[in-house]
Formats: sequence, C-alpha cells, structure tokens
Amino acid sequence: MIGGDDKELVARVVSSQDTAAFGELVRRHQSQVRNFLRKLTCDVSVADDLSQDCFMHAWDKIQGFSGRGSFIGWLLKIAYTTFLQSKRKSKRYAEILEEVGHQSEVESRTYAVQPDEVTDLDKLLAVLSDEERGIMVMSYACGLSHREISEATSMPVGTVKSVIFRGKEKIRTSFDIKDHQHG
Amino acid sequence: MTSKIINMAERIKDAEDRLLESMFDSAPIADDGFSAMVVKRVRRRLWLRRLTLPIAAIVGGAIAIKPLTGLVAALASLSSMVPKEIVSATTALIPQAQIIVLGAMLLVACMLGVRAIED
Repeated sequence: MIGGDDKELVARVVSSQDTAAFGELVRRHQSQVRNFLRKLTCDVSVADDLSQDCFMHAWDKIQGFSGRGSFIGWLLKIAYTTFLQSKRKSKRYAEILEEVGHQSEVESRTYAVQPDEVTDLDKLLAVLSDEERGIMVMSYACGLSHREISEATSMPVGTVKSVIFRGKEKIRTSFDIKDHQHG
Repeated sequence: MTSKIINMAERIKDAEDRLLESMFDSAPIADDGFSAMVVKRVRRRLWLRRLTLPIAAIVGGAIAIKPLTGLVAALASLSSMVPKEIVSATTALIPQAQIIVLGAMLLVACMLGVRAIED
C-alpha cells in the first residue's frame, strides 16, 4: 500500500508515470466508481467493463487533472462521460441491427436488470432519465456537492439543482412519498 | 461569503434527502483483483507506447531500404555530372568526401523520418 493523499499520488503518476501510484488511486476509488456505474447501467458486468475503461481514460488524461476539485469528482466525470459514450454506441448499434432486422439481438444488448434481481433502488432509478439518474447518484450515492456535479457534468449549478428537483419530484409521484419540505 | 451560504444551504438536508441517501446507499465493492487488472492494462499500454517508435522505425527502414538504395545509386550517378576537376580536388583535400556527403544526406533523411513518426 502506498501512502500520501490523492494529489501526491497524481503528482507521482504525472511526473514519472508511476503505475504503482496509479494502482493505489484505483484501489482507493474503484468501489465508488463501480457503484456509480452499476447504478447507472443496472448491469454489474457492463458497469465493471466501463469502470476499467474509465480508469484507462483517467490514466490517459491524468495530466489534465488540475487539482482544484476532488480526485473522485474528476474520476466520476470521466465515468459519466464513459457511460454516455457507451450508451451512444449501443444505441447506434441497436439502430443498425434494427435496420437489418435483428430485433432479438437488439433486445439482448440493451442495459437491463434481470426481473428476479430488481431491488427497490432499481425501481427508483427506473423512473429517472439517464441525466437525472447520473446527477441523483452523484448527489445522493457519491455525496458530491452541486458545484462538483456541475463540474463533472459540465452543466451550470442552477441546472444541476433543477435536475435534482425534477428527479425528486418524479420519485415522489412514482412512489407516493410525502413532500417533507412543503408539508 | 456567498459561496459559504450556498455550501451551508446545501448541507441542510431535509428528511426526504436523508431518505434518498439511505435508498441510494450501497455497500462498498471489494477490489477482488480489479485494481491489479487495471494496472496490468496500463503497464501493457505503456510498453506498447514505448515499443511503437522502435518497431515503426524498423518496419519503416525495412520498407524504405530498397528505394533508398536506388536513391543512393541515383545520387552517385549524379556525381558524374560534377566536373572531374572539382571531384578530384575535393578527394585530394578530403579522401572520404563522397561517403561523408552520402552519410550526411542519410542522417538528415533519418532525422526527418523519426520526427515524422514522432509527430
């Protein structure tokens, strides 16, 4: 195990391409990144593949980490972008298959949970759009501040707040949760 | 001051926020060789990057050797167009003048090639 905070480890990676230091960063943050992507994709194996891709992108772009925000915030930004790119690719793939008439394959390639594995959280996430899901998970599961989410998603802070508000509204109406703020 | 107020407002959570946090909460995922796998991929990528330039230089050199010999021969034949007095004068001054000139040209060509590969 290597000591030092995240920023020291990043400095070691940038200055000498230290793979051991990068390994320590991966070990520290893999759980949060994998949890984040599991909630977004609702598929463990897809999420783990995307997590690996995310860390590979992080290795490539680590010189771009300015050190202003937290490292996990920066990592989740990459994870979110990786998820959106993969989603776009699979959508395009599905469209091409649909064009050539492979409906059964299209259905099997979409991110979906098995009916026997559906948890309360899956039901909750199912009512949200990808954007709302990403932002809600960053806020409530990863504990990022609105500012950090704004940096991760490249959205203004006000938009982040309104997306969270909208997501909460959807959950409230779908699961009949009483509005605690307004009585 | 304003940002402090915003941060404070963000930290004030109502019961609904706490409920959502508990619903989104999940147990940490065990590493189970995940980080080792990522590091392995990173090391492989590093090696590939380090090997790319020498391999490209060898492959490029192998491809270029035939036209290069032709070019050298053509350049050598051009030297016959140079008046014999000048050639004999330079060889008298520097006996390896022709080899030096050819070597310099090859060096420049190699440097340009390596720079192009790096770019």
